[in-house]
Amino acid sequence: MKSEVMVGNKAVAYATKLARANLIAAYPITPQTTIVEYLSDFVAGGDLKAEFVTVEGEITAQLVCLSGSIAGARTFTATSGEGLLYMSHALHHTARYWAPVVMAVCNRSVRTMQPDHTDLLAQRETGWIQLYCENNQEVLDTGIMAYKIAEDDRVRLPVAYALDGYVLSFTAEPVEIPDQEKVDAWLPPFKTQYPVLPETWDHDLEEYKKHWAQGKGINEPFTPFAGDENFSHLTMVSWGKGHDLQWRWRAHQEAMMRAKKVIREVNEDYGKHFGRSYGNGLLEEYRTEDADAVIVAMGTLASTSRVAVDNLRKQGKKIGLVKLKSYRPFPDEEFRDIGKRVGTIGVIDRNISLGENGIAYGSIRSSVYDLKDRPKVLGFYAGLAGREVRVRDIEKAAEMTLKGAEGAPTWIG
Amino acid sequence: MIEIRFHGRGGQGAVTAVKILASAIYLEGKFTQAIPMYGTERRGAPVAAFCRVDDTRIRERDLVHEPDMVVVLDPLLNRSVDVTDGLKKGGLVIVNHPGAAKDTGLAGDFKVATVDATKIALDVIGRPITNTAILGAFAKATGLVKLESLAEAVKSELPARLIPTNVDAMKKAYEATNAPVDASGFKKAEIVKKTSTQPMISYSRNVSDWRVIRPVVDKAKCVGCKRCWVYCPETAISLVDNKAEINYDYCKGCGICSEECLVHAIKMEREEV
Repeated sequence: MKSEVMVGNKAVAYATKLARANLIAAYPITPQTTIVEYLSDFVAGGDLKAEFVTVEGEITAQLVCLSGSIAGARTFTATSGEGLLYMSHALHHTARYWAPVVMAVCNRSVRTMQPDHTDLLAQRETGWIQLYCENNQEVLDTGIMAYKIAEDDRVRLPVAYALDGYVLSFTAEPVEIPDQEKVDAWLPPFKTQYPVLPETWDHDLEEYKKHWAQGKGINEPFTPFAGDENFSHLTMVSWGKGHDLQWRWRAHQEAMMRAKKVIREVNEDYGKHFGRSYGNGLLEEYRTEDADAVIVAMGTLASTSRVAVDNLRKQGKKIGLVKLKSYRPFPDEEFRDIGKRVGTIGVIDRNISLGENGIAYGSIRSSVYDLKDRPKVLGFYAGLAGREVRVRDIEKAAEMTLKGAEGAPTWIG
Repeated sequence: MIEIRFHGRGGQGAVTAVKILASAIYLEGKFTQAIPMYGTERRGAPVAAFCRVDDTRIRERDLVHEPDMVVVLDPLLNRSVDVTDGLKKGGLVIVNHPGAAKDTGLAGDFKVATVDATKIALDVIGRPITNTAILGAFAKATGLVKLESLAEAVKSELPARLIPTNVDAMKKAYEATNAPVDASGFKKAEIVKKTSTQPMISYSRNVSDWRVIRPVVDKAKCVGCKRCWVYCPETAISLVDNKAEINYDYCKGCGICSEECLVHAIKMEREEV
């Protein structure tokens, strides 16, 4: 195993290389650009055997990945901010076709070039799994895990993993690079569920020919899960149940819910094989054992929050941190469990749903609503449009959370 | 934890410097972090970058506000930026300056070490890119990192053809560094904040202190062909009596005019500090 001081964008490129993605299509946008540069270096230098498709914009980048994934390629794209917004309608299509595309998002505020999470969180209804990382090591590990989660037969959904632009994308820190052989052993080659190219399809071609010869055609699904309605989405059949296509949304929702279990499993299994795992995969609790209150943060804010929690613990204050890693699917059961244990939850959002409140704040408040003895949930905004968040800013939010002060979401920093 | 702040100008390599330093110290078994401060950088404009060193993985994600050490890559930078802002008492400044510590215009409860990194960079690398030279001086003045580790770390950051000269510049600077001197009795240079109500283009601000080297026109050789006038990106060249005339308030010292002059009438000379 090697290690190197590298920027977050290089960690993304390494993860993609180790996962042996063989179709890459991306359009450059700051702060994502160097991901594409590192990957094109890998491909040009022969270190990564992949088709590198240069495209004229993000919609095409996503559609190249979608069609490539259906045909059996392990695909990768990356974007940021406005590029992600431009890609938005294609994101819906990738999710709708259950194509396990993996995408890195360098969070970029749509108000400046600096980071906040509003760009990716605005895509939360596209049906993509969303994972937020707090350091470059986690970026590399998540970049590998993303493929295992996406390609799991119980999921088969696209995954976006996020790193805060600039704060991670351009900050260099030590990162351990797993050995290629170990990654190969852990992550088998990708096989598509769609009968497009025989060599990349994971079913028996002869059986499939018989299926057609018997006159069954496409109205009778041909997959290992044929007959299991949870998986009937994998057949591309959209008229099997009459013209009512609401079941497509239902099946997608069920796959998202199954993804929670898969993310937990993949995270644990990764830990067994590579020695690093991140909480339970969906979220991570830090010093919450006997906490009166917890703060919740995503991305690099979680990293800074650890320092703030340590500082307050030294003063004898019983505060903990919950790092929210998976926003989609949302770990509501975990938050209910935390809600039973603590009096107050302070949610620090690096995003805003204008006209309402912080996005994670709303989700967490909703998760704990049904608890008989529910905790107070406070909302804070920090680090929007790339505003620097210092340890003392988080400490301030944590102190307010400990006091359980009532009130509308507060702007800190 | 040790926190270090680098001040430089766009093009001097402050961002690369912190990455080399972080890699080198990591090679010696410590955890590090290298942070650039991104904004609207362009050649000559003041920039900053940061480095943290600790025994455990670093979790802080903010910029460095109270550094233990400050490294200044440009001798005139302290006239427009307060480079020692927030520097801890008893801290250390390593500054690229041709003179002695007392001439640097830095004063306060800290020590100042000097090295003429621009001269070394021009002599050895041939260009006024001072980042690797100043790292040699950093190794000497702080003892925080070995010269060999820096030489090793350069390999992953610079193209192969640039490595020998940059390693040489590091070594020369290591040997030429003047030992740190207490700066509490010195006189601090005045910081002139240049403000403008106009858009920040060269016409509305004086950029004369961005220059490390200046173009000098040999009027006897100039044939008045206007080639420099065409190529100057700052339109800082005009023709007076059919000879090139440079407006040094707006010239950033990029050297394009000197490159383009067909009769070699424009020479680049080092700016006086």
